[in-house]
Amino acid sequence: MRTLWPTVGARECRRRSIKKEHRPRTVRELARSHETVSKDLNRVRLCLAAGANVIIMLMLGRIRLWMIVASMVSLAALGAVSWLSYRSTRELIAANKRLAQAHRLIEDLAALHEVLDEAETSSRDYALSGRTESLKPYELALAQLDFNVQALRRDLAANPNRLQQFQELELVIQARREVMKELVQARTASGFDGAVQVLQSDRGKRLTDDMRQRISVMQTDEHNDLLERERESRERARSTIVAVGVTCLLGIALLLTALLVIFRLNRQSENDHAALQKAEQIQRAILNSAAYSIISTDTSGLILTVNAAAEKWLQYRSAELTGSNISKLHDASELQSRGVQLSRAMGIPVAGDYHALVTKTGYGTADEFECTYVRRDGTRFPVSLSVTALRSGGNHPDGYLVIATDLSEKHAIEKMKDEFVSVVSHELRTPLTSIRGALGLLVGGITGPLPPKAGEMAQVALNNSDRLSRLVDDILDLQRIESGRLTMNKRPCDVAALMKESAESVHLVAEGEDLTIAMSPCEAWILADQERIVQAFVNLLGNAIKFSPRGGRIEFAAEPADHNVVFRIEDNGRGIPRDKLETIFERFQQVDASDAREKGGTGLGLAIVRSIVQQHDGRVWAESELGKGSKFYVQLPLRQSDSTTAQQR
Amino acid sequence: MPRTLLVIDDDRDIRLVAKTSLELVGGFRVIVADSGHRGLAFANQARPDAILLDLMMPDLDGRATLDKLKQMPETASIPVILLTAKVQANRLELMGQGAAGVLVKPFDPIQLPNQVCEILGWRTSENDEEQSDKAPE
Repeated sequence: MRTLWPTVGARECRRRSIKKEHRPRTVRELARSHETVSKDLNRVRLCLAAGANVIIMLMLGRIRLWMIVASMVSLAALGAVSWLSYRSTRELIAANKRLAQAHRLIEDLAALHEVLDEAETSSRDYALSGRTESLKPYELALAQLDFNVQALRRDLAANPNRLQQFQELELVIQARREVMKELVQARTASGFDGAVQVLQSDRGKRLTDDMRQRISVMQTDEHNDLLERERESRERARSTIVAVGVTCLLGIALLLTALLVIFRLNRQSENDHAALQKAEQIQRAILNSAAYSIISTDTSGLILTVNAAAEKWLQYRSAELTGSNISKLHDASELQSRGVQLSRAMGIPVAGDYHALVTKTGYGTADEFECTYVRRDGTRFPVSLSVTALRSGGNHPDGYLVIATDLSEKHAIEKMKDEFVSVVSHELRTPLTSIRGALGLLVGGITGPLPPKAGEMAQVALNNSDRLSRLVDDILDLQRIESGRLTMNKRPCDVAALMKESAESVHLVAEGEDLTIAMSPCEAWILADQERIVQAFVNLLGNAIKFSPRGGRIEFAAEPADHNVVFRIEDNGRGIPRDKLETIFERFQQVDASDAREKGGTGLGLAIVRSIVQQHDGRVWAESELGKGSKFYVQLPLRQSDSTTAQQR
Repeated sequence: MPRTLLVIDDDRDIRLVAKTSLELVGGFRVIVADSGHRGLAFANQARPDAILLDLMMPDLDGRATLDKLKQMPETASIPVILLTAKVQANRLELMGQGAAGVLVKPFDPIQLPNQVCEILGWRTSENDEEQSDKAPE
């Protein structure tokens, strides 16, 4: 093994008290250690880069703020590691370069030492032997010496300290050359004795010792510098390794955290997915078990989903409907007319296709209406449609939900009810007509005079047949009004005219009881079904007549109040107990159970009044004081224009 | 000459009461028919001054009978008063179909003749003379 210091071995180290750890290492050892560190650092750098890439890729799968931050930190760590690696690599390259330079210097110094030894030896040989053959190596050595000195001077140009040392060495070398030259000249001129004189002067030895010393010092200094740099480099490498290690640990920690988060997110995602699947299953079950047809469409009216009820009612399979326009399920002429109707109502053009179904809800207005669905076989059935716009946050709909209720059964039931009522009405009234008619003829004496008792009995029968007839009328009226099948033909009605017609209807009856009906109308118009409102007033006036004492007075007044007209029918009859003021408006409710017999009432008059008034968006109520009389109030909304005028006033 | 009324109703008792009321109280001459088909035949044959027509009858009901009366030139000009139970009355619709008026059952037999005259614009006195000639049985 060629050592740096050919003349310095372990013994020399011990002699010079150089510690083992500071023992100059071989160039190969140094180079190998630096190479190893460099390779290790590169491996670490690559691992971190790979790890950071994995982290980034995994993290980019779920972009969240903290993940972005973590990715940035990872990138920063990678950047730091890369920079550290780069710096260490550069330092290692510089260190290697410096190492090579030091190696070369030390070797050059050793070579210089050898050349000087060669020159000295050969000059001494000549001095002792006188053989001219010894001069040749001496001259070659001198030539080599010049070359080595120039080379060293060149190499040390960048190192001022070493250059100065070398310059001093050069002076010594030059002096030694002079001595050697002197020796050779002495031997040549004076022979052996002349040479011995020069040798005995000891100058050569001193200069040689000085040279060796200086070379040794330079080598030692150079080596020490190298060791120092190596130590610094090791320190730096150590700190780099620590930094890289810490960064690596940080990266690993981040990677582990990311993996943990990803694991949790993944588990959460799986849980969410499972929950979503379950929710979807539940939703599907709800949709498919619903007794309504539920169809969802996109904004173009194309069907997206169809539930089981829709499939069943329409006789289509879901796959046959999906992708079709929902207008396919509707009557074309119905859509057309609805489009025209909406265009007029909304003031915007509405096409007579699926737009006629969804436009209104698209503007934020809930839309429910009746229309006709068309089955696959072309048959039709009535439905009540509810259309809702689906919005996922923005103002514009993302789609529509169309929920339909089959009205076939309801219509059939209503038709049956209508037919039942019609049949019942006919079947009850037909015999009543005969009874009433026959009794009327008897009591009226048309068929001849009746004996008094017979006449009395006939009158009783006639009265009760009238009562029965009224009961049938009231029951059928009430049933039709409350079921909404009695269409109210509302028209503008003059309040005064309504009151007059109502009073005239009961005029004869009031006259028969010697009662006065005092009217106080007001100037106002209401929107009402004249016949039905008169019926309500006639019922109230009839009650007032029934329960007023003979010769009494009935007040029938009307006055505007805000956007309404309030009618008041006041009597001075026996009054109504406070606890019955609400219940008297219910069916078959009378103040006294005996009233039905005595007064001939059916118990439905006030219920009919309430139903009629409610159908006109009005209100009816009573105030009363026992023994002093009762007041019945009917509040009906004013006609719109009159309402505006009243508001302005 | 008393006016002639044709009463078309599938109920025997109502036919009897109506006939008695219109003849004895109103002084009219009354023909009765128990179905829409027979009513059409009698109307075409007797050319009454007015027809009282029940709305709900089996087979040819009151509306269909009214349509046919209005389609036949011989009977188109005869005024028709419909007799109906209250719930069936859609006066506007029935008037639009060509009825001269609508009377609701049950009717007051004493008032029935006056109601008929009022609807048709007849003076009740025209038949009072005939009525006074008849002695009650």
